[in-house]
Amino acid sequence: MSIPKLEFPPFHLPDEAEALRGEVRAFLKETLPKVKKTEDRFSSWNTPSPDFSRELGKKGWIGITWPKQYGGSERSFLDRYVVTEELLGNLAPAGSHWVADRQSGPLLLRFGSEEQRQAILPRITAGECFFSIGMSEPDSGSDLASVRTRAEPVPGGFRVNGTKVWTSGAHRNHYCIALVRTSGQHGDRHKGLSQILVDLKTPGVTIRPIINLAGRHDWNEVTFSDAFIPESCLIGNEGDGWLQVTSELAFERSGPERFMQNFYVLRELVRVLGRQPAKRAAAILGRIVARLWTLRQMSVAVAGMMQGGKSPAIEAALVKDLGTIYQQDLPEIARVLAESDATTEEDMADFLDVAQYATMMAPSYTIQGGTTQVLRGIVARGLGLR
Amino acid sequence: MDKESRDMLLETADRFFSERCGKDVVNGVEKGVWPKDLWKEIEEMGLPLIAVPEDKGGASGTLADMLAVLRVAGSHAVPVPLAETALANLLIAEADGVPATGPSTLALGALTLSGNRVSGKVDRVPFASVAQRFVTVIGESLAVVTAENANVTETPTHAGEPYGTVSFDNSPCEFVGKSAVSADRAFELAALMRAMQMAGAADKVLVTAVEYCKQRSQFGRPISTFQAIQQMLAELASHVAATIATAEAASCDADEGGLADGGSFSIAAAKSQCSDFAQKIAAISHQSMGAMGFTHEHILHHYTRRLWVWRRDFGSESFWGAKIGAAVAKAGPDGLWPALTASRYAA
Repeated sequence: MSIPKLEFPPFHLPDEAEALRGEVRAFLKETLPKVKKTEDRFSSWNTPSPDFSRELGKKGWIGITWPKQYGGSERSFLDRYVVTEELLGNLAPAGSHWVADRQSGPLLLRFGSEEQRQAILPRITAGECFFSIGMSEPDSGSDLASVRTRAEPVPGGFRVNGTKVWTSGAHRNHYCIALVRTSGQHGDRHKGLSQILVDLKTPGVTIRPIINLAGRHDWNEVTFSDAFIPESCLIGNEGDGWLQVTSELAFERSGPERFMQNFYVLRELVRVLGRQPAKRAAAILGRIVARLWTLRQMSVAVAGMMQGGKSPAIEAALVKDLGTIYQQDLPEIARVLAESDATTEEDMADFLDVAQYATMMAPSYTIQGGTTQVLRGIVARGLGLR
Repeated sequence: MDKESRDMLLETADRFFSERCGKDVVNGVEKGVWPKDLWKEIEEMGLPLIAVPEDKGGASGTLADMLAVLRVAGSHAVPVPLAETALANLLIAEADGVPATGPSTLALGALTLSGNRVSGKVDRVPFASVAQRFVTVIGESLAVVTAENANVTETPTHAGEPYGTVSFDNSPCEFVGKSAVSADRAFELAALMRAMQMAGAADKVLVTAVEYCKQRSQFGRPISTFQAIQQMLAELASHVAATIATAEAASCDADEGGLADGGSFSIAAAKSQCSDFAQKIAAISHQSMGAMGFTHEHILHHYTRRLWVWRRDFGSESFWGAKIGAAVAKAGPDGLWPALTASRYAA
């Protein structure tokens, strides 16, 4: 057999991580009813609540793996895995700190200057500093190396011009890490790109809403017009932006949020089907649960590989592909099932509203964090097809 | 068995099946030719006794060791009841019996035991017409009936393997012992065994499709260089990887949790998921290989037809789905997340 094996060796989360799970559950049970309500009926990792993030920060569960000197808890990557999946499984509004915890903080920790780390990381771990991702542009989506936003070196820093789009939460967050061209020409591709830390209040930075098809304001267009960014805000070395941004993408793709974003649909489905569904309904429900269970086994296995020092890029792409397709199938299967098998007419009507909303949000899953087309390209390369 | 010994055994088994279990052997079984020599060699390698203690002639392997071998067998469409015999022998040994030689199979269903005699009928018993012994669990007893005391009506499956309906009419048992597992658990273990064979078969389907697409040239270039084909094969790979991952996870949970009830939820989820993905795996692989893969001449159907049959064996996705669904519904919405993270259910 000459193709690489796609194995996800069964992995058990260690006892410390499972013990932490209990603590997180107890905390959420107590805290969730108390935090300020958001406009979303059901919360997930894209539902912001600064209130909640602050409470989580007090427990030391944001940046949980980071060094203590920056406010971290120096716990394992697997402890972080448990915290994130418990937030998702318990429908916590974890949107404010999610990106900072998942990728911006780790990026600063790895490539940032000491000054940047000291200034930013303790505020992230306290649940008081939130980040947006500044990668995509109007003419650069999957082909990220084609970004046009330019940061021209000027005395003391950079003068930045260009536009970023789909910038989730830029209207609420404090910072954005932008991928920009600092040298060379547009056609130079991976060369001459850098990452800069942008305070979203900087003069010359304009944030305008981009409303999605469900009527939500998550995205923004962020325009730079001669915005001055100090030299101290360059992350890592000038010209290393491509290397850095691809390492950031690995964090972005492999987590449980790629199959747990609409967990509320499944939860609500269980509620409206009642305690004793008909056999046919139970079978369909059980098949969905089996699929989710499998995804979780694969995701935990990927976490185990990462903890073991491997970089399972193909495996992570695979889980994201399977997970996001599952999330798109779920509202459709659930909608039909609830129509025939909800215990009451009232429950049925209510669930159809839930499913309708979930259906409208579903196209985003296979786009954000790497489109299905791109992910399958990565897997195809792994199979030796390109 | 330590990891090194297991890897060595799996490698040996893989090589052995590659050499001795080619296309002609698999096609032969479909025509009713029992591969006597293949079975003899499999017995000489000790594979049917892999999870049987040494003092009973076995290799003292674990349940996981046995399942790992069955995954390899699945990846070669081994057309003899190795899986059924290996599991039957494990159950016999655990019931204080001594496994005999020769192919056995599992007749799991609504049977009754009165004293030393079994009555009742079981449909779709794998390899019913070639098995020398039928092994079953009735209540708290494990019972073994030899072929001459059972009546078999052959009902070949769509994979060409000699399945059949087995009737017992007050048939005397060769052995009755106190079973280490319940009848439901025996069925669960059989489902896990099939899930691991499906993992092997799925793996082979992917390798076959990828290799074919790299070699097949159209429009002046290998079809694997077309993006449409690459996307199909990547999707196929994701379903295959999930099939392997879920079966392996259940195998690990069952092994660690103990023969009597370990990994109950995991097995239900794994067999449901393997059965669910079988159709997509078959569909995409056939699509990618065009007419060639649809011929009897090619080997692809050895695996896709088995996936189609095996998804039904020992509980389909709906059978296991209904069990999981009933348990999840009973626990209610608040019980869902704890159940998913604990991998336990009481159906």
